Amino acid sequence: MSDIRDEQDAHEFRAEALSLWRITFSPLIWAVYFTVSYGTAAVVCAKGGAGAVALLRLGIGIGTLIALALILWLAWGAWRQWDMPRDREWENDAGTSEDRHQFLGHAAFLLAVISFIGVVYVSLPVLLIGSCG
Amino acid sequence: MTKPASLPVAEGPYPPSEAALAEPVPQAEQQRGAEELRAAWKTPQGWRYVTAVNNSEVGKWYALTALAFMLIAGVLALLMRVQLAFPDMTFLDADRFNQFFTMHGSAMMFLFAVPMFEAISILLLPAFLGARDMPFPRLSAYGYWCFLIGGCFVLGSLLFDSGPKAGWFMYPPLATKEEGIGPDVWLLGLSFIEVASIAAAVELIVGALKCRPPGMRVNIMPLYAWYVLVVGGMILFAFPPLIAGDFLFELERSFDWPFFDPTRGGDPILWQHLFWIFGHPEVYIVFLPSIAIAAMIVPTVAQRPIVGYSWIVLSAVGTGFLSFGLWVHHMFTTGLPQISLGFFSAASEAVVIPTGIQIFAFVATLMVGRVKLTLPMLWIAGALAIFVAGGLTGVMLAIVPFNWQVHDTYFIVAHLHYTLFGGMVFPVISGVYYFYPFMAKKLLSERLGLWAFWLIFSGFNITFLPMHLTGLMGMPRRVFTYPESSGWGWLNLISTLGAFIIAASFAVFLYDLLRPKKAQGEIPRNPWGAGTLEFSHEVPEEAWGVRSVPHVTSRYPLWDQPQLVERMDAGRYYLPDAPDHQRETIVTSVIDAKPVHVQRVTGPAWITILAAIFTGGAFIFPTFHIYTPAIICGAFAIVCIMYWLWTTTARPPKEEMRDAGLGLRLPTYASGPDSVGWWAMWITMLGDATAFASVVFGFFFYWTARSDFPPEGALHPLGLWVGVAALAGVAAWALTLAAREANMRGKLGLARAALVLAPLAAAVAGVAAWTAVRDLDPTSHVYPAILWALMVWLVAHLSVGVLMQGYCLAASVFGKLTPRYDADLRNVTLYWHFMAVKVVVTAAILGLAPGWLS
Repeated sequence: MSDIRDEQDAHEFRAEALSLWRITFSPLIWAVYFTVSYGTAAVVCAKGGAGAVALLRLGIGIGTLIALALILWLAWGAWRQWDMPRDREWENDAGTSEDRHQFLGHAAFLLAVISFIGVVYVSLPVLLIGSCG
Repeated sequence: MTKPASLPVAEGPYPPSEAALAEPVPQAEQQRGAEELRAAWKTPQGWRYVTAVNNSEVGKWYALTALAFMLIAGVLALLMRVQLAFPDMTFLDADRFNQFFTMHGSAMMFLFAVPMFEAISILLLPAFLGARDMPFPRLSAYGYWCFLIGGCFVLGSLLFDSGPKAGWFMYPPLATKEEGIGPDVWLLGLSFIEVASIAAAVELIVGALKCRPPGMRVNIMPLYAWYVLVVGGMILFAFPPLIAGDFLFELERSFDWPFFDPTRGGDPILWQHLFWIFGHPEVYIVFLPSIAIAAMIVPTVAQRPIVGYSWIVLSAVGTGFLSFGLWVHHMFTTGLPQISLGFFSAASEAVVIPTGIQIFAFVATLMVGRVKLTLPMLWIAGALAIFVAGGLTGVMLAIVPFNWQVHDTYFIVAHLHYTLFGGMVFPVISGVYYFYPFMAKKLLSERLGLWAFWLIFSGFNITFLPMHLTGLMGMPRRVFTYPESSGWGWLNLISTLGAFIIAASFAVFLYDLLRPKKAQGEIPRNPWGAGTLEFSHEVPEEAWGVRSVPHVTSRYPLWDQPQLVERMDAGRYYLPDAPDHQRETIVTSVIDAKPVHVQRVTGPAWITILAAIFTGGAFIFPTFHIYTPAIICGAFAIVCIMYWLWTTTARPPKEEMRDAGLGLRLPTYASGPDSVGWWAMWITMLGDATAFASVVFGFFFYWTARSDFPPEGALHPLGLWVGVAALAGVAAWALTLAAREANMRGKLGLARAALVLAPLAAAVAGVAAWTAVRDLDPTSHVYPAILWALMVWLVAHLSVGVLMQGYCLAASVFGKLTPRYDADLRNVTLYWHFMAVKVVVTAAILGLAPGWLS
């Protein structure tokens, strides 16, 4: 019989505590990206000079690429944690540490996908609109 | 963080072996456990019944009160529909009509939709989790009494013809200039209720994270718990901006500080930002928990596990985040830069994706399952149909040019009612049918349910479908009448007829809900064949929640763990008895739900009711600009809350360890991150920090929005005193931290000395902050006003911090706080971590920002 004080999984557990936070990382990147884009646009449109909008669009463009790259990197890590190609396991519904581990990977992966789409959507106005108006 | 090495940790076998679970519990043992539990959880009888704090009682009161407020708001809607039935009606005059539509919206949102989520969660979450109760029952009770008092106060204003009339979002300058006490009733009454909402959010988050049964890892917890986590988090980040807005608004109303007055540098748009940073997530705060009910019902109806559990988690978490990027779509016509509007338009379209995914997951589950079309399922089907229609008009409204065309018309009214009826009213009623056997141990009538459904489904569409057209034809919302020549008359008449059909449906539903059902006899325990723990409930009712807290290894334990209920009933699992006749529940770890300790939970009390009455006084008297009684009430409220904390929380235990059953021994005291109190403090402070950030946002908003901020030649805060405030505030934090460390090492003298000096340092910080801005005149311009507001905010928080330090000092002197049992001091130190950041940020804005900005 196993004892509750067994600390064999202590190391794994620390990694897991991180992975509960990790599922929120990609949406957080979206949130930071969104806030910074909106804030910069507000300041530039209120205080910036004539050429500032071009710089703003360039800056947000670079920010978009950085955000997308970060999300892709997180998605890759989450994909590996989900480990779907190996065991073809989609549900991960058993009360085991393996399933919990893979579930958190799956959730993080899906959130990375939605955050990626979110960043792409929010970047579109900068592509299409050339002035503060 | 260092942990006091001396506190014991859990010991014994875990997870329980099949052999241990299979061993029968002796009859005498079963009886002893049941009797002890019955004594510990006994609901107070007679007139003492109101002192109950058990989640099943408080949850029922909460739900019924929210229902009553909803019915009142519904009657207001009917009266408005009568007024609008024909052109040039004189049934209601303009002033009363304004009060009614304002109160209809405010009550539906603040007195029904959000409280109903809290009510249902308080009632059901412990049952979903096989827990005995919520971690802080008295906090729930306190929240409920605050809600009842605040709700009666706000709605009562209508009886005196003094209700608010500027619309449920209270736009200045209309609302700031409004005569009478209407806006004050709205601001103070609803702020009071928002505090209760945040209290409930804290409770529910901690409940979902720390009070799950052993073995219920995050990947197998009921989807409802995921939704509660997301919605609780959203409340923490959405309500504080509104509270900050209310704070500024009330300062303008009461003391003429010109935050929203453009003639003195203010800007009404700031209110719109703060309101909608709250207001849009609010829509999802209402929608997500209701759709979570669908996530519990659909698997039962389909008699199979939900399809795409991870996808629904994605949907809940994703919607939670994205919904914060939508607020400006309520402000498309305010003249913000096009490029900014574009961001919000894009995010509004993106949020459709996660929202849609969960609906597809439900449909998929129904497709692959063997569906029995029960009454709850019928209501869910109606909800999905109506919500999808509302979602589609939402996609249209997210497009800026279309939005400009229909802004402030009945098209908006139609859209928002479609989303709220489909996203909230229908799923909640479905939940009432589904969970009624759990809540009342009776079943609702199938026949009456069908009547109610078809009446409301047809009535709803007859009322609101024509409104799309009324809006497109140009009828503005909130007009009290219209001329015959407008051509809207026939559409309005149809809507009015539909409204009465909805009312008829509610009459049928209410009759069914409240009629006596004695003839029904005893119902089966699990009438729908559900797979989740709430249907392991006892019929007839027992107040203890669960007879013993099970070890769970599946998402649908009642389906997959065949002997589970039998063993729970026999007291085979954890905490099957209560030797000291104390109420307890089991606290587990956040991710894997490993047992951590046994938490004593509080029992019936008058003090929570007293605390709520005094808190009510502190909020309600200022409405009439009477401040002395308000301050006295505030002081009494603090005394009541301190008494309640002192007498019942974090007291050194008699026995350090407790036999929890199945050979497991668990500690009875926890401190720091292991304890539920620490989590509650951490979560509360996140919300508080958000409110602070909103006030700081106000400062920078004025800077971007106004060229005269700060105005030329303005007086600035005195740098020297700002510096003193910063140093003294940081010193107060450092001394608190030192007290914690010294106490932990057993150096009591040193710890107490630090706890004497810390409040002194905090007081110096407060006085210095006041001195720094004393010579500025807050009524002259928004620049000194916002600096004063920051100072007031800081001083108020420092005062709370001082009370906490004093509490710890007293606790140390009287032996409540010892080197071994130091939960109070750890929680207070956590408060002061946040306080230190606030001191530094405030000082930076007071002292440095004027230099940077001008």
